[in-house]
Amino acid sequence: MEILSSMLYGFEVALSWQNILFVLIGVFCGTMIGMLPGLGPISAIAIMIPLSYGMNPASALILMAGVYYGAVFGGSTSSILLNAPGIAGTVATSFDGYPLAKQGQAGKALAIAAIASFCGGTFSIVALMLVAPIMADVATAFGPSEYFALMLLGLTAIASLSEGSTTKALIAAVLGLMVSTIGIDGQTGTPRFTFGSSQLMDGIDFLVIALGLFAIAEVCFLIMGRKQNLLGKASKIGSLKIRKQEAKEISGPIARHSVLGFILGVLPGAGATIASFMAYLTEKRISKKPEEFGRGSLKGLAAPETANNAACGGSFIPLLTLGIPGSGTTAVLLGALLVVGVQPGPMMLQDHPDVFWGVIASMYVGNIFLLILNLPLIPFIARVLYIPRPMLISLIIIFCLVGVYGVRFNTFDLYLLIAFGVLGFLMRLFSFPAAPFILAFILGGMMEQSFRQALTISNGSLSIFWSSPVSVTLFAVALISLIFPLIRKKGHNKSEQEGVKA
Amino acid sequence: MTTDRKIAVMLFILALVYLILSYQLPEFPYAIMDSDVLPKGLGYLLLVLAIILFVESKTETEGQRKKRQLSKADRNMLLMVLVLVLLYVILLDTLGFVIVSILFLIGTTRLLGYTNWRVNILVSVLFTLGLYYAFNYLIKIYLPQGILPF
Repeated sequence: MEILSSMLYGFEVALSWQNILFVLIGVFCGTMIGMLPGLGPISAIAIMIPLSYGMNPASALILMAGVYYGAVFGGSTSSILLNAPGIAGTVATSFDGYPLAKQGQAGKALAIAAIASFCGGTFSIVALMLVAPIMADVATAFGPSEYFALMLLGLTAIASLSEGSTTKALIAAVLGLMVSTIGIDGQTGTPRFTFGSSQLMDGIDFLVIALGLFAIAEVCFLIMGRKQNLLGKASKIGSLKIRKQEAKEISGPIARHSVLGFILGVLPGAGATIASFMAYLTEKRISKKPEEFGRGSLKGLAAPETANNAACGGSFIPLLTLGIPGSGTTAVLLGALLVVGVQPGPMMLQDHPDVFWGVIASMYVGNIFLLILNLPLIPFIARVLYIPRPMLISLIIIFCLVGVYGVRFNTFDLYLLIAFGVLGFLMRLFSFPAAPFILAFILGGMMEQSFRQALTISNGSLSIFWSSPVSVTLFAVALISLIFPLIRKKGHNKSEQEGVKA
Repeated sequence: MTTDRKIAVMLFILALVYLILSYQLPEFPYAIMDSDVLPKGLGYLLLVLAIILFVESKTETEGQRKKRQLSKADRNMLLMVLVLVLLYVILLDTLGFVIVSILFLIGTTRLLGYTNWRVNILVSVLFTLGLYYAFNYLIKIYLPQGILPF
């Protein structure tokens, strides 16, 4: 009953005309940006952050969350129509979605993607609503040592699950932590690595990093691929109708991957991309007709679409209840929350119930908007893909520059933005993942703080870190997640071949 | 030497510099954990990871090498855009947001290969004015006015 009254309260917040407008703006912009191949959800959120300056925290998070799941929703459109996934989480969607579009069934594919996304999204909101308060309860018992262990686990998990070399991912994480040490140390007041510059005293703003490492770096790749002509490749959309038998066919994968996707989303390091690939491979494995996969299988389309949206909802659990992001995207969301003055975590449920329940309730509203945007309106929205690339690129650059300038009103930050843009581009070029960097940067200050708090409690003895069973377990899992890639490497060639076939 | 090995060497040097700087951090006598502990730890960690990267990347596949190669045209284009962005930042405070942004948008869009001048100029002007209005009047973030009176 308590949840029911909390939810009613949440809807009260979410259904104010202002917040309805913000959800709409959020999911609309998210869908648009997510649809553009090359720009991921992190860029989408980071580009939209300046809009939230001065907003009340609930509205800001409602808007930003809308951008996030809107981007995941919208990313599927370009996967299906152009075989150019809008975001990493919808790469698996293109395996079967694009073949369907080539067969002239783009409309059906889009409809299935939208319905699967809606189901996955809605399931994950219900689960989020039920699980989050329990998690928050558990989390109130966490002390600084548990928090430290949890954050460490988040970092090792994202490093071991990222694509490519784990060493490179760990290097990216260490570099992120290093950048987070720049500025005045909160505990002792010592300026660290500021080189006497007053601009660096407060540290580097996270928006500089998010926009630089992601948006600007992605723009560089857009510039390199600017000549790709998307117009010619787009196929006609056709009828959106789904037959009864087809609905039956996709109901199985939708049910399965709503649950699995949600769980993967909750786990640190995983998220939409991994959930969608897992969903695709599982469906293929258990299918009676695996040969259909890759040639326009409806199941192969519905599974990843359900999973990535379910994972998106799941990833809000660690963010809202523990205050610890498990992925690069939620790290940027956390940064956005800190900007408006809310520290998520177990206390948020009591201190800011409007933010907590408001954002959950707004997701129901947002998902309905998304269904409308992505079904009947899709032919109109897909026109965003026809914006000439050169125009789009220069507009995005201006958005980034203005967003960063608006934080502190000085051009020093803009030079930093350019520097991090170059860094982000080089990292991508040399296959260093950027997500561990941003996560580490956001967690850096918090990790150091909880480490020190733990030592203060124990009076300087490190034994506090292995005195609680919870933190010992978390450390053990963190260690396993580092060893895991070594084992995976042995079976790597095999799974790679499978991946190529898929 | 493979590219990854060169990067490993650079990271190794970076870690050394970072460590040297960490050892110069002033001490604070009353802290249980002083501000230099984390940086030192990170510095050593990066040293170790750089060595691991060096040892790991003995060979380089053809695919990896191709992925890294930038064509001359692309590299020049990226550098030109970089120059334009730098010019934008340098001139932003003096000339003001509206003028610099309009010039930047028109210039960059043309540079990147869009040839329809009329659309280009129209979009650039409208977008800039819209953004300026939204920031200054709706969310009250004052963008540099520069030499324009409004």
